[in-house]
Parts: sequence; structure tokens; C-alpha cells
Amino acid sequence: MKKDAIIASIVIVCGFAGVFLLSSYLETNRISVPESYADEDLSLQGKKLKGYALGAEGLVADWYWMRALQYIGDKVVKKGIESLNIDDMTELNPRLLYQMLDNATELDPKLMAAFSYGATVLPAIDPQQAIKLTEKGIAANPNEWRLLQYLGYIHWKLKDYEKAGEVYDRGAAIPGAPPFFRMMAARIRTESGSRDLAREIYKQSIAEAPDEQTKTVSEIRLMELDSMDERDAIDAALDEFRVQTGTCVKKWSDILPLLAKIDLPHNRKLRVNNADEIVDPAGFPYLIDAATCKAMLSPDTKIPLR
Amino acid sequence: MRDRVLYNLVLFVLLIVACAILLGDLTDGQEARTIVNIGLNAMLLFGVFIAIFVGVGLVSKEIDKRTVFSMFAKPVGRGEFIVGKYIGLCLTLLVNVLIMGVGVSLALLYVGGRGLAGSIWGAVMLIFFELAIVTSIAILFSSFSSPALSALLTFSVFLIGHLSSSLRELAATLGSKLAVIFFEGVYYVLPNLANYSFRTEAANAMVPNAPMIMGGAVYAAVYVTIVLTVAILIFSRRDFK
Repeated sequence: MKKDAIIASIVIVCGFAGVFLLSSYLETNRISVPESYADEDLSLQGKKLKGYALGAEGLVADWYWMRALQYIGDKVVKKGIESLNIDDMTELNPRLLYQMLDNATELDPKLMAAFSYGATVLPAIDPQQAIKLTEKGIAANPNEWRLLQYLGYIHWKLKDYEKAGEVYDRGAAIPGAPPFFRMMAARIRTESGSRDLAREIYKQSIAEAPDEQTKTVSEIRLMELDSMDERDAIDAALDEFRVQTGTCVKKWSDILPLLAKIDLPHNRKLRVNNADEIVDPAGFPYLIDAATCKAMLSPDTKIPLR
Repeated sequence: MRDRVLYNLVLFVLLIVACAILLGDLTDGQEARTIVNIGLNAMLLFGVFIAIFVGVGLVSKEIDKRTVFSMFAKPVGRGEFIVGKYIGLCLTLLVNVLIMGVGVSLALLYVGGRGLAGSIWGAVMLIFFELAIVTSIAILFSSFSSPALSALLTFSVFLIGHLSSSLRELAATLGSKLAVIFFEGVYYVLPNLANYSFRTEAANAMVPNAPMIMGGAVYAAVYVTIVLTVAILIFSRRDFK
């Protein structure tokens, strides 16, 4: 009996060791399939389950929603991209994102987080899909003024200021919509692409964001605007130094006294790190482009490079 | 309790605790609605499994073990036997559903979904009504069939019961008169369990209105009465020899 138990234990332990080794072997020897092939593993017709999911449509919608969230992250990891360009994600080829969000919102038209995510991320992939998804959300939730805020933002991003103004007007007509809709409708028409207006839009987006993704993207956008103000001011100081000395600045410490005098919009000051470098709002040091003698963003920063 | 029915609660609690801890990152802050979706769907699924697998065994076990003879030697009628079994299992399911509902509410409070913790109880009540109907169907089949076949038939009724209204709408678009008549028949003869599906809506903080709850309760009571009557009729004529 004792002998049987020992033999059985050995078989089990050896078996698991074999399973462990085989798992690693199979994992490393898996045939690498084209990316488009890997994308096919998802059932894209989940929305057809509506009415046939035994009342669990919300659960299936959540599954699509979670898949959509992981989808972009997985693409970034697989492609080994260190800094994601939130203005143009087409290099990731995230062609299934819209379908996932469409499925999620078809199965649960009240899933506001999916509409919000789509309005934030899809403009960097296909703005028309972003508009389509958000319009669908507005049709299903006519009293959700947030959706009109997203749609106005998408049109504003596309520089279609007239349309953006119309959308904000529509939002203002919804009972319970905040007063900023009326104000934004007017400002978009008069100021169109100004930084102050953009700042206002992103601040509202952060204040009203229902999810972390939307909030994070808006925060990066705000940092980008702050960085634009900073780079304008730094470039002016660099020009001044070049006029005075006839050479371009080699290191930031050469013009720190000059930079310290600068007052940025909204009572801000330039920030300096321990190494006496001027840093961007994300905390990464600005670089000096020797050819143009202008400040530029570090490739490591999370602020979009353009 | 003899069937260790409530052991499923341990699994349910583990599921909900895991959801509460892990879903934050996966859902980008939308964990409350996902906890409701997972919690209520698990509640229904666990409840249906209990209703089916315990329900179909309630009658057949008594017959197989011959304990039914000693029972009927006492002043207990066959109708009372069926109704007693049904009420016993319904009460077990009620306890089960209540504990699960409390579990989901606590998980929601943990993740900050205070509003949902209260608003899910309408949907929980509807789940219990649905389970009451499924239990009666399980007892009906077990009154004349083997446990395995009864389980299969009950589960089929559960599936069709959820799909009957969608199939009826589908039939209307097909243009076939025969299909329309067939699915109309299915819709009215089998229980329309879609009446009790409010889980997706509950995840969006919606609450079933009074007519839905009251109507659902009355529908369940009427349907259960019909099914148990048929079950008693069949069971009364059954020869145990």
C-alpha cells in the first residue's frame, strides 16, 4: 500500500514536471501567425446575440468592453511601441476596436463607458467611426448630454468648428445639461482653434470623465497645451540669446536666469529639475535642436511629439 | 441541506470577491456594473442548477429508496408530498438568493457602487420568481421521468423559456404562417422567462417598476399552480410497484 502511494506520488510529480516542460516547449515553438490572423480570433457578430443571450446581454457587453480595453494595450505591447501617438494610432492597425465597441453598445446601449472610450480613442484611428458610434449612443440615450460633449469634441478635433458648435447647441437644449454647453457653442464659433478653448474642453473632459482612459488622454492633452506654451516661451528666449551672442545655447544652465523671468499663461512658471534642465509638464527634460535652435520634446515623454 | 446545496455559496463568494479585487483594472473603473452583471448572472445560473439537479432528485430519490411508502403510510397525500417538496426547495433557493444578493451588495459597497448595492434587489427578486418556475418544471418532469431525462427537459424549458419571445418575433418576420402559429404556441404554453430578465438593466442602475414585479409574481404563481397541478395529477396516478 505504502509502495503504491510512493509510485503514485512519483508519477504525479514527474507528470507535472513533464507538463511544465512541454508547456514551455509548445509556447516557444508556436507558429507565429500574421497579425491580421490573430485578430480573427474574436467573434465579431456578438451583437446578434441580442435577445438570445438568456438575459445576459449586459455580461456579454462587458466582455466586449473589457476586450476593447485590452486590445489597444496588447497591440502596443506586441509592437513594442514605447511612446504611443494618441493623435494617430493607425500604425497599431486596431481594426477591430470599433467592432468590439459596436458589439458592446449594441448589447447594452446604456454602456456609457464604451461610448466614452470610443469617442476618446477612435478619432485617432478613424474619426468617422468615432462619430458613428457616438451618434448611435445619442440616439439610444437622448438625454445623456455627455455624449454630445464627446461628439462636439470629435468635430472640434476634426477642425469642423461649425459642426462642433451645432453639437454643443444640441447639448445645451438637453434638460439638466451644464451651462458650459451654451458658452462652448459660442466660443467654438468665435475662437475656433485657440489653445485656451482647447484647454477649457480638456478640463471639462477631465471633470466629467466616467473612466480613467478618458481622463488620462485629456490630462495628456492638457500637458501638450502647457508644453506648447512653454516651448513658445523657451524658443523666444533661445532667439534672444542667439541674437545677443551669435550662437545657440548648448545647455539649459546658460539661459536659466533668462528663463526664470518668463511668466507663462495661467500664472505658470517653467520647471527645472535637479540637473538644471528645463522639464516638460510630464517631467521629461526638453532638448535643444542644434539645427533650428529650438526647444523640442524628449522622445521618452508621454506628450505627443509633433 | 442533506444535499449540501448551500456549498455553492462558497464558490459564489469566491467569485464575487475575485471580481471585486480584480475587475478595477480590467474594466477601467467600471467594476461596479460588471460585478452586478457577473453577480446576478451567476446567481441565476447557480440557482437554476440547484433547481434542476436537486429538484429532479427530490421525487425520484424517495421512490428509489422506497421511503415514499413509509411517507404515504402516514396521513400525507400525494399532492401534499409534491407541494411540500416544492415549497422546501423554493425556501432553500430563497435563502440562497438572499445570501448571494447580500454578497453582491457587499462587493458593490467595497468598490464604491453604493447606489447599485440597493438598486439590484428588484432584479434579485425577479431572479427568485424565475427560479420558482424552473423548480416547479423540474418537479413536474421528475414526477414521471428519470432524473437524467428530467434534468435535460427542465434545462431545455429554461432555454426555450428565455428565447420564446425572441423566437416569436423572429417567426413574425419569416412570413411563414406555420412558424408563427408554432412559436405563438411555444410562447404561451412554456413559461416566458424573459419577463424576469432584468440583469443588464440592473447593471445600469435601473429598477423594475411595480407592475413588472407584481405582474411577474402573479405570472409565476399562476404558472407554478398549473405545473404543480399537472405534476400532482401524474404523480397521483403513478404506480410505485
